[in-house]
This record gives sequence, structure tokens and C-alpha cells, in this order.
Amino acid sequence: MAAHLSYGRVNLNVLREAVRRELREFLDKCAGSKAIVWDEYLTGPFGLIAQYSLLKEHEVEKMFTLKGSRLPAADVKNIIFFVRPRLELMDIIAENVLSEDRRGPARDFHILFVPRRSLLCEQRLKDLGVLGSFIHREEYSLDLIPFDGDLLSMESESAFKECYLESDQTSLYHAAKGLMTLQALYGTIPQIFGKGECARQVANMMIRMKREFTGSQNSIFPVFDNLLLLDRNVDLLSPLATQLTYEGLIDEIYGIQNSYVKLPPEKFAPKKQGDGGKDLPTEAKKLQLNSAEELYAEIRDKNFNAVGSVLSKKAKVISAAFEERHNAKTVGEIKQFVSQLPHMQAARGSLANHTSIAELIKDVTTSEDFFDKLTVEQEFMSGIDTDKVNSYIEDCIAQKHPLIKVLRLVCLQSVCNSGLKQKVLDYYKREILQTYGYEHILTLHNLEKAGLLKPQTGGRNNYPTIRKTLRLWMDDVNEQNPTDISYVYSGYAPLSVRLAQLLSRPGWRSIEEVLRILPGPHFEERQPLPTGLQKKRQPGENRVTLIFFLGGVTFAEIAALRFLSQLEDGGTEYVIATTKLINGASWIESLMEKPF
Amino acid sequence: MWCGPLELVHRPAWPGPGQLGQKVSSQTTALLRNPWRKEKPASARPVLEIYSASGVPLASLLWKSGPVVSLGWSAEEELLCVQEDGVVLVYGLHGDFRRHFSMGNVGGPGGWGKGMESGTLSLPQPTTPLSRRCSRTGFWMPGSSILSLVLGWLSSQEPTASPSVPTWVTSNSAGCQRCQVSPDTPGAAFTAHRCAFCPWDHQRQKLWALGSLRWSFSTTIGLQSAPSCWTTVCQDRVAHILLAVGPDLYLLDHAACSAVTPPGLAPGVSSFLQMAVSFTYRHLALFTDTGYIWMGTASLKEKLCEFNCNIRAPPKQMVWCSRPRSKERAVVVAWERRLMVVGDAPESIQFVLDEDSYLVPELDGVRIFSRSTHEFLHEVPVASEEIFKIASMAPGALLLEAQKEYEKESQKADEYLREIQELGQLPQAVQQCIEAAGHEHWPDMQKSLLRAASFGKCFLDRFPPDSFVRMCQDLRVLNAVRDYHIGIPLTYSQYKQLTIQVLLDRLVLRRLYPLAIQICEYLRLPEVQGVSRILAHWACYKVQQKDVSDEDVARAINQKLGDTPGVSYSDIAARAYGCGRTELAIKLLEYEPRSGEQVPLLLKMKRSKLALSKAIESGDTDLVFTVLLHLKNELNRGDFFMTLRNQPMALSLYRQFCKHQELETLKDLYNQDDNHQELGSFHIRASYAAEERIEGRVAALQTAADAFYKAKNEFAAKATEDQMRLLRLQRRLEDELGGRFLDLSLHDTVTTLILSGQNKRAEQLARDFRIPDKRLWWLKLTALADLEDWEELEKFSKSKKSPIGYLPFVEICMKQHNKYEAKKYASRVGPEQKVKALLLVGDVAQAADVAIEHRNEAEMSLVLSHCTGATDGATADKIQRARAQAQKK
Repeated sequence: MAAHLSYGRVNLNVLREAVRRELREFLDKCAGSKAIVWDEYLTGPFGLIAQYSLLKEHEVEKMFTLKGSRLPAADVKNIIFFVRPRLELMDIIAENVLSEDRRGPARDFHILFVPRRSLLCEQRLKDLGVLGSFIHREEYSLDLIPFDGDLLSMESESAFKECYLESDQTSLYHAAKGLMTLQALYGTIPQIFGKGECARQVANMMIRMKREFTGSQNSIFPVFDNLLLLDRNVDLLSPLATQLTYEGLIDEIYGIQNSYVKLPPEKFAPKKQGDGGKDLPTEAKKLQLNSAEELYAEIRDKNFNAVGSVLSKKAKVISAAFEERHNAKTVGEIKQFVSQLPHMQAARGSLANHTSIAELIKDVTTSEDFFDKLTVEQEFMSGIDTDKVNSYIEDCIAQKHPLIKVLRLVCLQSVCNSGLKQKVLDYYKREILQTYGYEHILTLHNLEKAGLLKPQTGGRNNYPTIRKTLRLWMDDVNEQNPTDISYVYSGYAPLSVRLAQLLSRPGWRSIEEVLRILPGPHFEERQPLPTGLQKKRQPGENRVTLIFFLGGVTFAEIAALRFLSQLEDGGTEYVIATTKLINGASWIESLMEKPF
Repeated sequence: MWCGPLELVHRPAWPGPGQLGQKVSSQTTALLRNPWRKEKPASARPVLEIYSASGVPLASLLWKSGPVVSLGWSAEEELLCVQEDGVVLVYGLHGDFRRHFSMGNVGGPGGWGKGMESGTLSLPQPTTPLSRRCSRTGFWMPGSSILSLVLGWLSSQEPTASPSVPTWVTSNSAGCQRCQVSPDTPGAAFTAHRCAFCPWDHQRQKLWALGSLRWSFSTTIGLQSAPSCWTTVCQDRVAHILLAVGPDLYLLDHAACSAVTPPGLAPGVSSFLQMAVSFTYRHLALFTDTGYIWMGTASLKEKLCEFNCNIRAPPKQMVWCSRPRSKERAVVVAWERRLMVVGDAPESIQFVLDEDSYLVPELDGVRIFSRSTHEFLHEVPVASEEIFKIASMAPGALLLEAQKEYEKESQKADEYLREIQELGQLPQAVQQCIEAAGHEHWPDMQKSLLRAASFGKCFLDRFPPDSFVRMCQDLRVLNAVRDYHIGIPLTYSQYKQLTIQVLLDRLVLRRLYPLAIQICEYLRLPEVQGVSRILAHWACYKVQQKDVSDEDVARAINQKLGDTPGVSYSDIAARAYGCGRTELAIKLLEYEPRSGEQVPLLLKMKRSKLALSKAIESGDTDLVFTVLLHLKNELNRGDFFMTLRNQPMALSLYRQFCKHQELETLKDLYNQDDNHQELGSFHIRASYAAEERIEGRVAALQTAADAFYKAKNEFAAKATEDQMRLLRLQRRLEDELGGRFLDLSLHDTVTTLILSGQNKRAEQLARDFRIPDKRLWWLKLTALADLEDWEELEKFSKSKKSPIGYLPFVEICMKQHNKYEAKKYASRVGPEQKVKALLLVGDVAQAADVAIEHRNEAEMSLVLSHCTGATDGATADKIQRARAQAQKK
């Protein structure tokens, strides 16, 4: 069912099974039939852990979405609330419980906090007079959710905003807890590296928590060699640029939610002869995207320009395989052919899907506007004309292109110029306010606070130094057979991944100067292991580095890390963890504020 | 065959011939000397003395409270002293007062009206950290108007019934009564505690039975006279009270009282003098005034046996004496000087009692306490009987013989061994010796049996060693605790039932820390369960030493405990705080690594600010919030804000809280910090959210603008002022033109004006707000195209030279599918974009010409890509030719 989680160097199915077990244990505590009332935000992430069938096995008969007033009628013994620990949700729960009491048979109420039980929330329930109504009040520490064989995410939407705008460390605390859970399952990680303020805090919390847990000495042989904690604000640039990998583009254009994507259905309509396309499906086509699908695993991280050739090659292979049936003469041969049929049909279905998706994407990428936008982005990233008002951006504003697109470009320019000249900045801001509305002044404030948009201070632009030292711009990119991570953005090598690459070889000492320019401290911590658990590496055996992006990571960055993992002489394989899978649009959106 | 030797466990040294007032016992004994007698003056105060099972005095204190009617030990080995007035005082093993609770004034002359209230008496849930195991305690309370009272509690953590704290029995001049608490099957989900409460109201001739919580009943039954005896029985996890009035037996439950008759009861009974329920609550014995004993199941459904002892005198005590899983059942009946063991046999076994004695039934036998002795009466275990029976030929007996002969270097050893081996019984022989060793109390005998087992093992190939090894370990532990100085004379079965954890708890209670630690180390228990736990208890004891300074105690504790895994410094600190040593508690908390534990205690000790910094250190925001809300209630607003000011992290969290919960406070916070930028944003939000009227909105924006000026954010201030102007203007437009203008952006306002034909006003607005020319052109272009006002568009295009070029005109016309109009503008497009424009309007041929003219490779391929099939064949050729030519050059 989740076999793709165990393909990687680190078997993440272990984690999935552990969290599933915890869920089952909780459900069994509430004996009898159950209804679950969901905090809607949790349903997506939970879907990756447990399907409805698992819940059903444990007598979950009904599921509702948490909302005010009364609960829908359900003939069950237990009502369980699955919620994030938020005060506003507590108010709704109290309303539910209070209106329930007045009618019908008594039920048992329970509450499951995800990922952490909160005294604050319990106090609120107490103030509302319903705390006593709950028989079980427990926490379900679902911090890191396995998404793929090498990918974990906390799916904490507002993590970046909380950390950098509101100085709220809650998600960092959860991250540290999640890392402790990982260490409990996969052994203590002997070395921790980090860059950035948040990274420092997470490392501190981990060290502290380790002290709290002494006694339950971990005797698991460490699977991870290193942990690299990276603040998103060390590299604000990468998410702003348009991702050019297959998966990245799907995300940019359609948005991938909890590994599912919803696509316009027209392209997927079954082509039947004589049908005349009368009844096209109107409901969006929903597809799950992960490495369980062989073809997707192969093309997801490729530059989009290299996807077409793979697809056509695949098409040939598959039709050749189907042609085999004519060669099958003996009964044995036919039997063998038939036994391969399901696999072949699945491959054909998968190919059809991805061909359709690729066509959809191609429509976008070949448009003139996409090309213009990309040109501007690439100019900025390679350091051309970053210090004056860009006419493309101006035109975008004048034509009222989507605000997020405009903000993304302006922020990109600001980041590539270490801040904009006051005049340029004010011009953009004024244009935006006049065109899109004054209320966006709050959003602009937020972007400034997060450092995405800022006036240049000290009159010095550090970006060229960083770009040159870290080789962020590569002119000769091979999109088909890449030799460097820069292929994921067709020229720009993501800074975050470059940092990881340089850490593994030759080490950060070589780039001290640049590290000082980038925000936040960089550090290294060791977690001593008992002698019995120290690893003796076989020659040629790769290290495993867990890289944790605090504040989100994009699919392009993930692709770049996977590229590094696959390099023959790379020496390091990466497992990626993050607070949230983001792209430029979703990221900017999380920072926007709409007062009405 | 039931065989009942009287086994001497100890010869305890009870002090002197003093009067044994009340005696209670489990493994320890408490005496209350000089108990109250009604006729005695109160001047002679009684003394409460506590002794170990071997008679070592543990504590002695002068009794200063009211008259005690009963003493009892709880499973946690706390001494409960029940006073006449229903108050129960709880003491520790060392005579240290723990707490008290009241069952209501049941003994006073106030009568039973008050007694009723005690039905809801609240027993404190045992919370001491020393032992989480609590089982049950029963005691009864005789009093002037009280017949008896049962009380007990069960704790939900109890895994199995604890054997060493059986129900206990006591005697008193009023007669001998035995009471029990409803037993609960382990694992049943019972609530914290329950009790039965069964007083007799002489005046109204009524019996009240009260329970608490689930087992709550208050049945009033009219009875003609006081019951002669009663007990609690348990059926299907429901407790009942069985009571005897004259020749009748009644079973009481929460609803009713029904008469019952034991099956096969001999006739002629006019009164029941005693009843006894077995340790397991399965069996019941009844002693009648005819000297007849009925023994049967507690359900009163089946008779097991009966016995007529022909003694009509009421016995002082009657208890069951049996061994788990044994088929033999027996009851021990005690009179003043006589002890009788009766069972399913025609004959009884009788013993003479030299002194006043008290019986305590236990899991596998009966303890007999008297002033000078402490004895244990039990059925001889099967293994021991087999081996030591005279002329026994059991394999174990032969093996023991063989080993003895071997030591004597006699060849008989071989003969015996062969005999066993021929029957293939050597494994059983070894097993028997091991088992019998367990039941032996004398180390010499244990050794000789174990030697025999070990000897036998030599001749076996694959005998699993664990049973032998475990028995050696167990015996070593048992012998250690049975020592006179320790005084915990457990039998092997009791020890096994009790588990090592409970035994360690008992040792800890007796402050025998070194022995406990040695046992842990010897048994290699995991640190968390073993050594650390004991050290933690030691530390809890240590903090109670008031004569040592805080620094010294803290240092001593830290030195010994260090970072020992599993030690909870916060538990120790809580204990210190409980003893009133707050400073010490704080010092100890410093060593606590878990903030989750630290913080609540600090809050409890009213060290909120320290709690705040600890919470912040932990990074657990929920903890910080908790402390913050606590502080908010505790401090006045000013102090609270000052505290926040020094803790930036807490401040930002509190801001978040206020943003969602208390907006006004948020404003105050920004004000306090002179954070004008945020204040500005705050007022902007307010202008949208809180204000409906335009004046209110403008006023809020004005405040915002002022704040931005203070924040030296000129841009924001100006933008805000612009917005105020715009709002007023939009209001006026709405009034004059109708339609919706409010909350449109400036850009959209101008567009709307153009769309509604108000070009002049649009121009004016654009000028007033200084819309850049380029954008204005875009705006107009889009709006006019939307209107499809091609005439106006053309006029506009000619008004002056377009700052955005003419390609957008072409594009927008094509978007509206107006090729005719588009072509007009295509000719005016500048040379760089000409090709693009021509292609847009579909003029491929001309585009090709221009491209060739430009000699621009990119443009040429662009045109080429637009060439479709036959129609543009000539054009394509032309380009190809031009290309070839260009390459030649």
C-alpha cells in the first residue's frame, strides 16, 4: 500500500507504521462505534497515513467536518474530535458538545490533538465548561508525514509566516519533536549542521529534549549520518523563481496538495469513437503523484524540456510490448504475456495520463507571457538590470496580471539586488496599491518584514558575490543530461541545495565569507553516540543526510537534491524534510493579508 | 490429607507485658496502649506504637486526638486510625502524620441523620509517589450506636490483589466482627474508590447501608433486632452485604434485601455468631450458636462441607486458611486459648494458644500474632510434602537422599540416582527440589534442597537453567528481607504475588534504601524501575530533613542522583515544596531537565516569572502561553506588560494571542512599545473590520497615517492619505453617479469611470492621483476595447505618441476578434515588434518581408513557425532562400 516509502535508502514506512499504530491504539481506547469530527485542515495529511478503511476497521462509522452549532445526527457511542490545538477550534467544539448535551442519548466525547496537546486549549475548554465532558484527551504526535521514499513534510501551512513574521516558534518546536521521533526510530543523528536563526533554535531544542529523554537510551544503529537544518530565509530566492522540472511545473500551474493534483478533465476524457465528445466530464481529474508510479518516478525530477523524449521513448517501448502478443505462439508464451498484461496496462494508463499532463503544461510553457516572465526572472538571477524599474513588471501591473505573479517578480528582483533602491521600491509599491487596492499595504508590510521586499541598505549589493562564490548562475545548462543542479531552473542553481552540496564536499569552511553574508548563524553540533553504535563506513558507502527546510521547500529543490543523491561520486544521499511543500505562489499567498 | 503444622517464623520481642489494646497487622504491627475506656479518666493518654513484623519498634507517639475505635493498615502501609467521630487519621510507617479525612460524624450522639451524610464521604485517592499500588483495606468500627462499618478503597492501578495486605481482623470486647470490602476483579474499570458503610440505628431499628459512587445504595430495612454478624460478599463484581439476624440471613444489594438460606444447613440454628469470607472471596464460612460450622461458596449456592465442633461459645475469630490452587480448604477458628483447624475431615486439628492471639488471613495461610510470638499457619505445599513425608519414594525425596549420600561419598548415591533415572523422573525430581526450596524458611534447608537440585541437574542434558537460577535469586532476596533487622517475613508465594516492585516499595517505605538498591543491582533491574526510583525516594526523604540547610540538601541530592536516568527532580521538588521548603524546591528544579514538569510546579509555588523564563527556554510555546495567562491573572496590567517587555519571545506570542482574542490589548501593547508601524497596520485593519461608516473609516485611516508619520514611514503615510482621499471621492461618485465605487482600487475606479462614459472625471482622477502615463494608456486601452468603442480608441491612439507602443493595440483588438481594427495599428508598430504585430493580424507574407529586411534570424524562424501548409509555401521558400543567402555572406 505504501511500498514506495520503503524504496529509498531510509525506510520511511517504519515511520508510517509507527504513526498508524499510534492511531489504532487511540481508536481502540474508545470502545464501540465512533464518529470522527475533523478539523478540515487535517484530512489531507491524514489521508497519507490512514485511509478510511483503517478507520472503518476500528469502528469509525461516520465522519464530519468540524463546524459550529449542532453535530449531525449519528447513532454512535463515541464522538472523537481530531483537531489542531487552536483556540478558535475549541470554541466550536464547545458549541458542538453543549448543543449535544441537550438531546438524545449520552455519548462519550474524546478529543485528539494533532500534533500536540495544549494546556491553553484545555484551559479554554474548561472556561467554556466542557472539559469534563471528554473522556480521553490525548495527543497524536503526527509531526512529520512521509510523502515519499525520501520526503517528509509537516504540512504546516503557516510555518514560515509564524517564524518570520510573528516570531512564533510553535512550528519549530513541533519540528524538533518530529526530529526526536525520527531519532527514536532511526537512531541518534551524530552530526547536526545548520544555517539560520530558526535552525539554531531547532538544534537547541533538540539538544534540550535529548537531555529530557535521558534514561530511555536509544540503542538503534544510526541510519542518518548528518542532519542539515536550513532556514528558508537563508535562501529566499529559490522559491520565487519558476520551477522548471516536471513536478515543479505541475505544482506551479495546478498546485499539488498532499501529493494529489486536480487537473482540467477535458484532456483525460476517454476517446471513444462516435462519441463526438458530447458529455465531457466536468469534475476535475484527481491524480495521486508519487514514486509508486514507475513512470512518474522517472520523469518527475527532469527538466520539463527533457520529459517529452522520455514519454515518446516509453510509448514506443509499451506499444512494442503490446505487439509481442503477435509473437506469442505457444500456450506458455501466451500465458506469460497475459501475466504481464496488468502491469503493461497500468504502464499504458500512466503514460496516457502523463502525456496529457505534459500537453497541458506545454500549452502554458510555450505561451509568450511565460517566456517573457522566465526571461525577466533569468535576467534578475544572472544579475542583469536588477536595480531599475523593470518594464515587464510595469506592464504586468498595468494589465492587472495576478497580484501574486507581480509580487513574486518584485520580490525576486529585490532579493537579487539585496534590496531595491528606495525610489524603485516606492514606485512598485505605489503602482501595486493604486492598481490592486490600498488594502494590500498590509501584505507589502508583511513581505518587507519577511525580508522578501526591502530597501537596499548601505548601498551595497551582495548578491553578485554570493552568486559567483556559490556558482548560482550557470550559463551552460544541459537540460537533457544534466551535470549540475542548475538544470532544475534552467540556469539557476538553488542556493539552498548548493549549500548542502558544498557542506558535503569540501565543507563549509571554504565558503565562510558567503555564509557570513547570508542571514543567521551557521553552526555544527555533535551528538555523542555510545561506542557500540558508531558507524564504520564501508569504502564507497554513501552518507545519508537528512536535510530539513524550516519554512518550506519547493519541488525543484527536491529534484536538485535527488540529482545529487544519484550522482555516482556524490558521496551523499539526501532525505528531505520540511515544514511544508511550497511553491512561489503558495508561499507568497501565505504571507498575504486580506483585511476584508 | 490436610496437614497443618504450626510454623514458627519469628520469636518477636514485643515489649513487656503491657496491655495490648488494639493490634493491627500486615507485615507491621501497630499497638495502641491504654486505649480509652469509658470509665477511665482521659488523663492517661494512649500511646501509639508501631513495630516491624519482627518486633522492632519503628515509632511511638503520644495519641492526642480523639478516641480511636479502630486501626488498620492500607496496602501502601499507611496506618489508618478511625476515631469515634468518624475522622480517619492517616500515618506513615514511621509515625509521621500524612493526612486525615472524615467519614462524617457517625459515632456521636447526633444519631444517624448525620451518619447518612457520610455516605458521600470522600476518600482521598492515594497519591503518594512511593507506591502506586494500593489495594484494599477493611476495618470495622464498633461504637455505641454503630454496629459496624466497612470501608475501603481500591485503586485503579492495582494489577492484582495484593496478598500481604489481606483484610484484617481485630477483636474487641463487643465481640468479634469481621468486615470486608467488596473486591473487584482486576482490570475492571472502577472509579477511584468506593466504600460500603453499614451502620445500625438502634433507635429506629434500622440498618443503613451506604456506598459511594457506583455502588451507591442507601437501603433502609426494618429489622427487629441488631444483626449478630455481617460481612460483604462479592458476586459478579457487585458487592453485597450478607448479614445475620437471629436464625435468618439476608443479602443486601443496592436495591433490595432478600432472605437467603445456605444449602444443606443443619437444623436447629437460632443464631449465627461468626461469618468469614475467604481471601479470594469465593468461599464463605458460618459459625452458628450450636457450634456448627457451615462451609460453602460465597454465592450460597453450594455447600462444601460442614463440621460440628460442639463448642457453643462464640469464637473470637474465624478465618479461612488455604493455599492458592490447593484443593484443601480449611477454616481456622480461634477462641481465647484454643485454635482449631477444621475442614473437609471428620477430625479437627487443635492447638493451644498460650496468649491472646490475633489471626490475619493471608494468601497462603494465616498469621497468628500474640504478645510474644508471630507465627504462620499454612498448608504444607505439595512439593515439600512429597519430599519430606516419612518414607516418601517421590523422585524429589530420592534425589535429596542421593545427594546426601554423594556427600558422604557413598555408592548409595548412585543407586538412588539410578532408581530415579530408570523411571525417567529426574527432571521432576529436580523441579520438586527447587520448588520445595522455595517454601523453606531456613537457609540451611534451602541450601540442601538446592544442592540436591543442582546435583540432579548434572545428569540431565537439556534442563533449562532459569527456574533454578531464578529460585536462587528469589531466595537470596527473601532471606535478606526476612532478616530480623528488616522484618518482612514473606512466604515465597506471597513474594511472587507481590512482585519485586512492590517489595522494593515496602523497603523504601521502611527507609531501607541501601538494601533496596542492593536488591536492584543484584537482580540487574533496569535503572528506571530500580535504582533511580529508589534514589528518588531517598531524595524525597532527604528533603524532609529540616535540620539540614537547603544548599546542603540540594547538593547532596544532586551528588547522589546526578543525571541518573529516570529520576524526576520535579517530584522531589514537589515533595520539598510540600514540606514547606520552597527555596529548596526551586534549587532542585534547577536540575530538572523537563520543562513540562518544571513549569507547573513553579507556577504552583507562585514563581511565575521564573516559570516564564523556564517555559521560554523549553521552546514549548504552549507552556509559555500557559504561564502567560497565569501571569496575566496574577499581576496587574502594568507589571504584566513590564514582564513581557523583558521577554521578547513571550511578548510576540502574547501579541499573537491578542490578535485573535483581545484586539484592544494588542493596541496597548504596540503603544507601550512605541511600535508605530504596527499601530498603523492595526488601524488599517480596524478601518476595514470595525468601521462601517465612511467617516469612521477615514478617521481610522487618519490615525493610521499619523502613526506611520511617527514611524517615519513616509510612503505608508502618504499612501494612507491618498486612500482617505480616494474613499471620500468614491463616496461622492456613488452619490452622484450611483453604482458601486467604494473599495475599488484607484485603477479600477478610473476604469469604471471610463466604462460608464465619464472620461473627464477619469482624466481628472488620473491627474489628481498621478497615475503614470504608461499605465493610464494601458488602462484606457483595455477599457475602451472592453467597450468595443473602436472610434474612441482610435482617437485615443492618435491623441499623442503612445508610451506603450502600438503592439498592445494590435493585441487587444485581436483579443476582441477585430482584425480590421488591429490592422490599423499594426502599421504603426515600431520596427522591433513589427513582425510580431504582422503575424498577429495574420499577414505572414508581409511579416516575412520585414523579417528578411531586418536580416533577423530569430524573426525569420518565428515567421517560419507560423507558415502553415500550402497557403504559405511561397513565403516559407522565400525565407529559406534569404536565410541561405545570409549564411553565405
